[in-house]
Parts: sequence; C-alpha cells; structure tokens
Amino acid sequence: MDTVTITINGRQVDVPPGTTVLNAARQAGIDIPTLCHFPSLIPIGACRLCLVEVKGQRNPQPACTFPVTQGMEVQTDTPRLYEMRKFILSMLFSERNHFCPYCELSGSCELQDLGYRFGLDHFLFETYTKPFPLDASHRHLVIDHNRCVLCARCIRACSEIAANHTLGLGNRGAATLISCDADAPWGESTCVSCGTCAQVCPTGAIIDRRSSYMGRNRQLDRVASACNRCSVVCAMKVAVRGGRVVRIESDWEAPVNGGLLCERGRFEPLHDERERVTEPMIRREGRLMAATWDDALEAAAEKLRGAGGADLGVAVSGDATNEALYTAAKLFREDLGASYLGLLNRNVPKLSGRSGTLADLATSDLVIVVGVDLMKEMPVAAYLSKRAVDKGARLIVVDDGDNGLAPFASLTVPTSDIASAVAAAAAAGRPVVLHGGVTGETAEALKKIADKASFIAMQPGVNAFAATALGFNGDGRAAGTKVLYMILGEQTVGQVIPGQFTIVQAAFRSPAVEGADIVLPSAVWSERAGSLTSTDGRILKADKAVEPAGSAKADWEILALLAQKMGKKSLSFDETSQAALIEIKGKERA
Amino acid sequence: MAKVKIATDWLAGCAGCHMSFLDIDERIVKLLESVEFTSSPITDLKHPPEEGVTVGILEGAICNSHNVEVAKRMRERCQILIAVGDCAVFGGVPAMRNLCGTQEALKRAYLETESVVDGVIPDSPELGTPLPMVTGIDKVVKVDLFIPGCPPRADAFYYALTELLAGRTPVVLPPELFTYD
Repeated sequence: MDTVTITINGRQVDVPPGTTVLNAARQAGIDIPTLCHFPSLIPIGACRLCLVEVKGQRNPQPACTFPVTQGMEVQTDTPRLYEMRKFILSMLFSERNHFCPYCELSGSCELQDLGYRFGLDHFLFETYTKPFPLDASHRHLVIDHNRCVLCARCIRACSEIAANHTLGLGNRGAATLISCDADAPWGESTCVSCGTCAQVCPTGAIIDRRSSYMGRNRQLDRVASACNRCSVVCAMKVAVRGGRVVRIESDWEAPVNGGLLCERGRFEPLHDERERVTEPMIRREGRLMAATWDDALEAAAEKLRGAGGADLGVAVSGDATNEALYTAAKLFREDLGASYLGLLNRNVPKLSGRSGTLADLATSDLVIVVGVDLMKEMPVAAYLSKRAVDKGARLIVVDDGDNGLAPFASLTVPTSDIASAVAAAAAAGRPVVLHGGVTGETAEALKKIADKASFIAMQPGVNAFAATALGFNGDGRAAGTKVLYMILGEQTVGQVIPGQFTIVQAAFRSPAVEGADIVLPSAVWSERAGSLTSTDGRILKADKAVEPAGSAKADWEILALLAQKMGKKSLSFDETSQAALIEIKGKERA
Repeated sequence: MAKVKIATDWLAGCAGCHMSFLDIDERIVKLLESVEFTSSPITDLKHPPEEGVTVGILEGAICNSHNVEVAKRMRERCQILIAVGDCAVFGGVPAMRNLCGTQEALKRAYLETESVVDGVIPDSPELGTPLPMVTGIDKVVKVDLFIPGCPPRADAFYYALTELLAGRTPVVLPPELFTYD
C-alpha cells in the first residue's frame, strides 16, 4: 500500500504510511500549533501543544509523533483541544521567567507567538519564581535557564545535527535543566561551538553574545551566502542590519550542511579584526602610497602590457571566487599567455576512484579519513562523519599523529597500516574515503577499493576545486616570472620574491601586501557577490550582504576592470558566473 | 447623556503607560466629548472620587502594601477595572526582583550599590511595606480587562475605551494591538 487515507477535520488526506498526523495535516494545509517540534529534528512530543483527538483513542495524542493509520479520523481544532492547549501554554508561561520586554527574542519567540495566538493576556497561574542559573561561561553562547521551556530542541540538534552529544537533561521535574556533559560549565564542556543549538532554540534561552540585542528579528534582513572558511563551503544566511553583519545562520534547506555550521563559519568572521586594505596603493620611491582605482589599474595594466607571456605569472589563493578564477584564467592565460598559473594553497590531487560527495556520508556504512584532520581543517565534514558513526557506520582514521576524529573512530591506524583500512572497506557496502594529501604508497593501496568507494579529496584551499579545474595548478612558487599578479582575497598567504614586480589584490594587510608594488583592495565574503565550489564539486552562490570597506571591490570585478583597461572584453557578473560554472562542471566531467 | 467617568492611578510602574495613553494625541479631544477623567496621578485630583467611576485604569505592579491599598480603593470605586501594561498584567520589570528575592533586592539597591555611602534600607512608616512577591494586580483584585504591552500601544487604549463606550466589552485585544513588549 503506497498511501494511507485519513480524515482530518472531515477532510480526506492521502499520505505515505508512517507519516505523522502533524505532517499529514501540514500537507493538507491544516495548522496545528507546535513548540518543541522542529522539521529537521526527530519529534519527541515533549510540549503537548500539538495534541489532537484521534477517534478510538481515549486521550488526545501528540500529532508530531503519532503515525497515521488507514481510516484514522482526526480532529485538530475542537473547543476541548483549545482549552487544553491554552492550559498547557499557561503552565509553560508560569514555570519560569517568560517576561517578554527584556528578552532578546521578543518578536521572534515561538512561545510568545503562541501566547498571542491563544490570547493569553494575563497569567492564569501564579508564576514560579525560583531563579534558575545562567551559564555565560561559553565564548560565544549564553544559556539562560530561566527562559527555557525544556523542548529539548538544542539537545536534539546537538546530537542529531552536530553529532556532538554535549547537551542533555539534568535534574528531574520542575528543576530539570539543560546540562552540558552531565554537569560541566558550558565553556569547559566538549561543546564544539557550532551554534546549532542557538539557532533552534524557540525562546530566548540560548542566545549568542555577538548578535544579541543588536536588533529584533523584524529589523534584520537575511542574505543568502556561502561560507569561505574551508572547502566544505556551507550554505548560510547572513542577518544584516544597518549595513552591518549581525549574525551568521545556517541554511536549513542546504543539501549537505543543512542547519549546520562550525565555529569558524558561524562566529569567527564576526570577530575578524585583521587590518583591512581599504584603498588602492602604488609603490612610489619605495613606499606604498594611496592611489585612485583608475591610476592603480592603469599602472597594473601598463606593467602587464609590457610583460611577455613567459615573464608573466598569476597566483591565486583558495579564497578567490569562481568568477574571479574564471576572469583571471581568461585574462592571464588566454589573452596574455601567462606562463604560470599557480595555487597558493597546497592542492590535494584527486585519487583515482569514483568521485563522491559529502552527501554520501549520510548513507555510508564505513568512512575512512586519511591524511587530514577534519576536526581542525573542515569541522563540518567531521560532524557529518560523526553523524554517520551515530547511524552505525564504522569510522577508520588513518593518521600518524593526533587526529581530532580518532576518539570517535572504531579503528585508528598509522599510514603504514593502510592495508587494514582498505580490507575493512573492501568488506563494507558503501565506503567513503575522505582524503588529504597522501603518499604514493597510500594512494596505491587505496586503488584496491577504487571501484567501490566514494573518494572525496579534502582540499586545504577553500575554492581549490574550482582553481584546479580552471588550470591554476602551479605550486605557488612562481620563480622565473618577472611580473606576478596575486589574488589573495581574505587570505594572508604568499611571499613577494625580490626582483619580481608584484601586483596584489587582497582584503587584509599581509607580508605579500607590504612587499607588493601595486595593491588593489578586495572585498571580503560579506561584501561581494560570488560563487564558490566546494571540495566535492557543489557550487554555492553568495549574495552581497553589506557594502565593502573603503573603496574595496569584489575580486572578480577588479579583474574585469583590469581587463577593460587592457582593452579586453569583460563579461557581466551573471555571464561570468555562468561561464565559470560551465567550465568547472565541464572539467569535472572530463 | 452624562459623560462616562474614568479614573486612573499607578502602582509600581514607570508612568510609561500613562504617557502611551496620551499618545492617542488629538483623539483625546473627541474622547472628552463622551468621557470625563475625574482623577489621575498626572492631574490635580489624584484619587478616584468616593462616589465612584465607571472605568478605573491601573498601571504598575503590586510591589508593596501601598500598591495593594491603591488597587483595592480603585476596585471599590469603579465598575470596570482595566489593568494596563505588562507590570499591571504580569508583574513586568518590577517582578524581576522575584528572581533574587525582596530582601536581596533591597540590600543590593540601598546598601551594596557601588555609589552608596552609609546606606540604610528605608523603613519609614509612611512607606508601603515591600511584599515578598511582585505580582500583577489580578492577584489582589478582580480585573475585568487586561491590556498587556510595555507600554500598550496608544491605539490599544483608544480601541479599548471606544469599544467600552460603544457598549461592547473587548475580551482580548485584536492581534495587531496585542503585544507583550
């Protein structure tokens, strides 16, 4: 039987077997109030606000956990249910400090919304006034237990989304508290600061220090963006107010990282205090002097015109967008015939085997991590691996030193013993290999499972996948070229070679900027539109959220302006995006 | 037709609700054609008349014995009692003190505050005695209509009064005027 037919409020609804009453109702456009329910989490029926009457059941049942059966008759909106829900809601309000005026979440609080919905214009019960503790020991997050409704969304997010299991429940009854590692201060717990708990909290119980009280939800605009902190490239939403980034949130709809970000992606960009490059500069009499865009681009164009292809090189950091990489490849390789196109981050060559995506981790029964510490380098990939472990997959870490995933691995072996990992993979159903740079011997050993396993090269450079696809595969040492054009973006890698004329486009001050002959200020992630290609080949677009600092411009735009200066054809952003996509995807297929 | 008499008073509040009421602006002229404000904390006559009023409006929470007296006096002298603002409805900002306890709050305010020199906790017989718990006024007197909000919007006041004048008792405010902050 493919579908089950039930009636909700007299309306017939066809849904697949196993669907919950709540989801069946939502599918039919029937609204049932909820509080503890969150679509991305496994429902637990904690708050009882979604109670519905099911014919044949003695008591009302929580719609979020109750599965449909053929012929079931459900009522979601009876006077009895209304009174019950209002009673439950009043109990929730009476349990702790739920005064709205001085709460960060007022205006976007789900408890408050329900209060309005049920016309709760005064407390029906005396409020419980025993104060609960507030834990502000965490670097980024604060939990005020006084505002907690014990919906356990944070606990479920910590376990199901981040696979970290730091949060749990402590105590019993009315004294129940969300607790970290049984009973540790949050700041000293095993928390990895992914921030997912703060994003799912329906009330003002978990808030983040940076964005709190910087604007009500209705005052914030949300801009779609893509994280440029590592090559996992997580989809995210940027909350903006008054031309400033207030908060970074994960995109729940994103196919791979849905709901998940890591500390580096969610919090670190908001605390970036590195000194910016805010205006173009030209070296005059040994010193970098401020210049106009026109003068700086003209100076750069003149130098590039004068250099022959053999003398000319371009080096990119992994931070360059697809659009910048495409524009740079076109200008330097095709138009100017540059002899050197390099990537400043180490490139991890793809091992022969079936190319996988990080989405494969969700269905994998064996994960091999070799030559990379994902916990350090690409935390979200580590969380996804841990999620696979929670689902029953085995994790094998192949590393000669410390590896952040080792405590969660069923087997940790040195690279000399790669054979045992390979043997395990050979016996597994759907193995996934996440690899960094490996030795020839390791690569050879892994060839045995080339047909079976999904291989994902975990690039240390953010957009290294696209850079490689577009031909930037030099090792970053552009010796022999007389003029070097460096596209650093937000990274501070790279060195200026004495005697080489260096043009640098960068967002931050760095040794390369200090040594450069011409400096072009580039915008940071939030200040530019652009797309990035993840290490497994997904292309994610970021919109511009705020205006660039000073006169900085998007990395691709600087290159397009330079091409114009040199009398070459330049494309619009959308054309560039499209052309880059075709080039990257085409190369990937080849 | 005789004008409908309205008296207002405040308890542990900040006067913000009264100010918000005044934000009905020129509509007050229209309102005064049908109502008479007999007394309020911001007029010469402070106390509701003994002969009584139709509508009594109270702002502020119940914090001390004086607040209880004022609330009870208003209840005795009015037919319809409206609690306005989060303090009168829920306890509001003064109820934050419940989280640490009255004695602790007094100690912190009068003895331990950084700017205090030779502090004493006031205990003049002329002052109301602080209660151990701050509550909304409905824990002390019967309330007929609640208008939450910090402060309630001017439109909420205007809506409630015009509804009452039209002979209707608004049970709950319409959603656009119903707010907790």
